[in-house]
Amino acid sequence: MRTRDPISESKRASGKEEEPGSHGIWSGTISFSLVAIPVQLVKAVDTGRVSFRMLHNKDYSPLQRRMLCPEEDTIVPPEEIIRGYQTGPEKYIVVTDEELESVSPERSRTIEIIEFIDIKEVDSVYYDHPYYLVPSKGGERAYHLLVEVMRRTNKAGLAKFVLGEREYLVAVKSVEGALSLVTLHYSEEILPTEDIIPEEVKIEADEKRRIKEGINKMRADFDPEKYADLRRNKILALLKKKSREKVLVEAPEIEEVEGKGPADLIAALEESMRKVKSR
Amino acid sequence: MASGAIWKGEINFGNISVPVKLHTSIREERVMFHLLHKRDHVRLRQQMICAYDRQPVPADDQAKGFEVEEGKYVIVDPEELEETVPESSRVIEVHEFVSTGQISAVFLERVYNLEPDGRSKEYTALAKTLTEMAVQGVCTWTMRKRSYIGALHANGRLLRLSTLRYADEVVPAKALELERFSLSEKEIRIASDLINHLSGAFQPEKFKNEHQKKLQGLIDRKARGEKVVVLRPKRLKPTAPDKLLQALEASLKQVA
Amino acid sequence: MSRKIIEIAGKRLTLSNLETDLYPSYGFTKAHILEYYRRISKFILPHLKDRALTLKRYPEGVEKEFFFEKRCPSHRPAWVPTARILRHGEEPMTVCLVNDLETLIWVANLASLELHVPLARAGSPETPDSMVFDLDPGDGADILDCTRVALILRDLLANMALTSYVKTSGKKGLHVYVPVNHKETTFEDTKGFSKAVAEIMQKSYPELVTSKMAKEYRKKKVFINWSQNDSSKTMICVYSMRAREKPVVSVPMEWKELEKLAEKADPERMQITHSEAISRTEAKGDLFQDVITKEQRLPHL
Repeated sequence: MRTRDPISESKRASGKEEEPGSHGIWSGTISFSLVAIPVQLVKAVDTGRVSFRMLHNKDYSPLQRRMLCPEEDTIVPPEEIIRGYQTGPEKYIVVTDEELESVSPERSRTIEIIEFIDIKEVDSVYYDHPYYLVPSKGGERAYHLLVEVMRRTNKAGLAKFVLGEREYLVAVKSVEGALSLVTLHYSEEILPTEDIIPEEVKIEADEKRRIKEGINKMRADFDPEKYADLRRNKILALLKKKSREKVLVEAPEIEEVEGKGPADLIAALEESMRKVKSR
Repeated sequence: MASGAIWKGEINFGNISVPVKLHTSIREERVMFHLLHKRDHVRLRQQMICAYDRQPVPADDQAKGFEVEEGKYVIVDPEELEETVPESSRVIEVHEFVSTGQISAVFLERVYNLEPDGRSKEYTALAKTLTEMAVQGVCTWTMRKRSYIGALHANGRLLRLSTLRYADEVVPAKALELERFSLSEKEIRIASDLINHLSGAFQPEKFKNEHQKKLQGLIDRKARGEKVVVLRPKRLKPTAPDKLLQALEASLKQVA
Repeated sequence: MSRKIIEIAGKRLTLSNLETDLYPSYGFTKAHILEYYRRISKFILPHLKDRALTLKRYPEGVEKEFFFEKRCPSHRPAWVPTARILRHGEEPMTVCLVNDLETLIWVANLASLELHVPLARAGSPETPDSMVFDLDPGDGADILDCTRVALILRDLLANMALTSYVKTSGKKGLHVYVPVNHKETTFEDTKGFSKAVAEIMQKSYPELVTSKMAKEYRKKKVFINWSQNDSSKTMICVYSMRAREKPVVSVPMEWKELEKLAEKADPERMQITHSEAISRTEAKGDLFQDVITKEQRLPHL
């Protein structure tokens, strides 16, 4: 299955749980110079409907990921889990969430645009993962101003922001009336290509012409709808067929309630039932 | 030093055929952390646990299910999934050529650098032609049991293949249903000026992963037993809508 | 197929496929469904508020395939309220909260005919607001049997100083809700209590009631599904439509209505369609209002 986006992944990898009911992947402010706009980060990529659940093939109970302590062979609850960086064999330094956030305090909640660049100058090899920024309450006007001005000037904003233990270099662009945010790779992460590009060599004119002709015969406008994910369609068809055949399994009830319940309750219920029946 | 090739294929269209080797274009560097047991700092392992009997379940006893109704699953067994795997072939079939710039960045997934696998002349001819005509080839191929669509494009004399996302995986900006706003020409003018003053050339080497370095510094200090001061993250106050023009003017003053 | 852009509370929304007939043997289009939800909105919204929605979508109508979605679809307007839900040991996911009319219409436009919600709110997923008795007739039993069981249940609970409220499931059964609305009452409490109640009902009326899920116990009986009292389970929201042949609705009933219907033995009267749901609710108000507000403690736990 497809990989998850890096920002959600780094949140999950920290092993800590978010507050239940919190909104979106990330919310904060985007700023340039003295203007600060409250925004929320939302996904631009949907990994699609076909996601499987792992089940126990004996009773079809769903499986859950848990952290296990290999020494004690027990499941460890989240409150007992901490983050450690290895400094030697079996040696770890523990870093808490607060310490982590304090490393770059000004960057944790703000995407600060450091400079603007011409979009065309960004080689697509730098692109990592796309998202959208949507305005939070009160930020709509400033948000749309930024969208419009970046559209007119054909610029993108370069910024950095920190989430968890990662610092992201991002490009913020104006796309169809919205702000898109794309995480970028750092230049030291881009692999050199000198070794694989062949030596400069003269190409004959009719070699080029032959290729040009071939290309011209196949000119079109980009329409992604033309291309279907064949494998996923096959899986969906398979699932449809199986559901129609009603080959469904059900997980057993998790009988957390042991025994018959407190004696007081049973007695009160029996008393109540007596009254009901005597009417 | 280039990494080893991960796959070999052949670009095909019309009577053109260019055999290539695929290389990854990125090597990510990250300080990795581990999850530990608070009590004794033992490194934890991830396990799949049965929700019912709370016991670890080995891989052989795991089944893949798709939830069709609440709590009801269709089990798909490995052979059935194998049958959905596309036929493998080495052909990168180009279906059409589109103008560079038509494929929005949101579709781009991963970039592979292509090395010629023999036939360097044809490779170079294709790269140069793609660059001159400012086009990209939309192609499909299967690799490692998956079917892909991608864009074949050139960067000077280098050929690249970028995998693309499928249409239904990409959220179009218009799905966000953002409102239109009428803005004043004054705001637009000042903001444009400001942006132009804050503009520069794209020099990615300028940007280093500072957080990584600071994090390493923190780890080293802690390892030496030094006390660490915890600072609170700053939250920038959002600019109130009626103060927007003011903020723009003040900003421009600062940079002009 | 037609598209229409509308605006609700200043928010823009594109409606699509308004002429698609989603209940083909009755004749009820997407436009009709949107109209129903618009009219019932002020009654249904308080019951959907802050609850993780499970969508059940029938894009080609009730006779064709449906698919259900717990995650909030990524292709959504920026203004749709969402929440992050964490189930222990599972992936966090973003869910939709139908907290306003525009989100309700957006969801209905996705052909999510049925709206299913948990008994607890997204911010406190282990704390149910109500205890529920899901009465489900087995083969050979029907909604009238459920009615008899519901009336006995009402009296049993009343003797324990618990007020209960009943609604049709919109299918063959009934749902009896006992509001709790207390932050210390957990699913463990409501599940234990309802299990004990179900068992005593079975013991006292063995030909009519069963508390066991297995199919062999349920023939000709009403199954009291106490296991619905769980953070992982959802119930059809009151006033939601159902994907049956006719556009029927899960509606609250008055106890005295149930008594009359039990006497008259007319199961069809309990299949309430969209127009009747609207007229009854506009006349009587929200009969399920107290389920949101009434505070009750489960005794003897």
